[in-house]
Amino acid sequence: MSDRRRRFETQALPHLDAAYNLAKWLARPPLDADDIVQDAMLRAYRAFDSFRGDNVKPWLLSIVRNCFLTAAGQTRHTRNVPLPADGEVGSDDPALVVDAPDPEAAAIRAEEGRRLADVVAKLPPEFREVLVLREMEDLSYREIAQITGSPIGTVMSRLARARGMLKEKWQSDVEGAGHVLQ
Amino acid sequence: MSCSEALRVQEYFDGELDAGAAADVERHLETCAECAALLKDLELTRAGLRESGPYYRASDALRARIADILDDESGERPARRPARIGKGFLWGALSGGGATALAAAFAALLFLPAAPNLAVDDLTNAHLRSMMSDHLIDVVSSDRHTVKPWFAGHTDVSPPAVDFAKDGYTLIGGRADYVDGHRAAVVVYRHGKHIINVFAWIAGDEHLPAEALRNGYHLVFWKSGNIAYCAVSDTGLDEIATLTHLIQNAGAPVSRE
Repeated sequence: MSDRRRRFETQALPHLDAAYNLAKWLARPPLDADDIVQDAMLRAYRAFDSFRGDNVKPWLLSIVRNCFLTAAGQTRHTRNVPLPADGEVGSDDPALVVDAPDPEAAAIRAEEGRRLADVVAKLPPEFREVLVLREMEDLSYREIAQITGSPIGTVMSRLARARGMLKEKWQSDVEGAGHVLQ
Repeated sequence: MSCSEALRVQEYFDGELDAGAAADVERHLETCAECAALLKDLELTRAGLRESGPYYRASDALRARIADILDDESGERPARRPARIGKGFLWGALSGGGATALAAAFAALLFLPAAPNLAVDDLTNAHLRSMMSDHLIDVVSSDRHTVKPWFAGHTDVSPPAVDFAKDGYTLIGGRADYVDGHRAAVVVYRHGKHIINVFAWIAGDEHLPAEALRNGYHLVFWKSGNIAYCAVSDTGLDEIATLTHLIQNAGAPVSRE
């Protein structure tokens, strides 16, 4: 196995789930998260020898984001990222993972997860992506700024807006969310 | 939120402030009800997203396709492989024809997780659990004189808890956890942006691999005396190995205390 392949498998492939999660949250039909990630991994692999740095994750995720924007640009007439249709979150997606210790709690978690996914999916994309990167991938402001190509101040204000919108929508749109957000 | 400190509170919540600035925000939170409420909301939305929100993971089919693409790119594509089992890139790792000793060792490393191992699953899950909940740390300290005695009262073992901040591995605390039927002590380190959980428990007759890779998390196992250790993290294998060497070399002097 080549040295590049070996390094790619140890350094980049561990972030494949993160890449997929981001693509899945960004992409709407007819865009396919699998295609975006596949394209991104190929580009990342080709560019890997020229990657200088010790933090592969934000580098890889910025490639995923670029591949998404490229794909979105090819299928849309506008350069705007498409907004999701109401209720379109792919609730039955087998890749939707919800960790919970017992079946009953798992059922409740799954239901909450679906509602929450619905609310997040309805956020405008520039807010959705900072929320996913911060809360799900636990990336720093600097890393999120690197991925989204925005100044750190923009990351901070978008994050604040995203969180505010999430809380508001979650409380108002979702029946029974009271036991989650009291 | 109209308080001018709202963004600072968010930075505080996100761990973006240094100790001095964080203390300033904490003082502000004592007197500003608006910001205290904001902090509570931030905690609730995070808990909701991390505990209930869906996280989409790459399917085995996608992993397999990516392994194929990398094979093509590296010119390493062997004869068409049979139906895949498990994660595709494991096969990709095995496909290098003129494998050097290093590549072979690496493939063996990657291949380990194919064998079911409850300890590996359990440790990976315990690591994930700690990352997704508030239960990362029970005793917060960068001081081994605080962490190590704490273990004595809360777990079956009291492993060394040494700070290696000067080497880039900062001791941030300890935790009691339950792994594979054992009450485990967990020493928690931060390395860059990554958390490394070092589990320690009284070794039984379980078979432990030297290393494993599960869901993108590396696990490194070793034994010292009658204690089994496992370091788990999403950081690179080399980074984890560096920490395990530091711990192994530091183990002796600390245990004399």
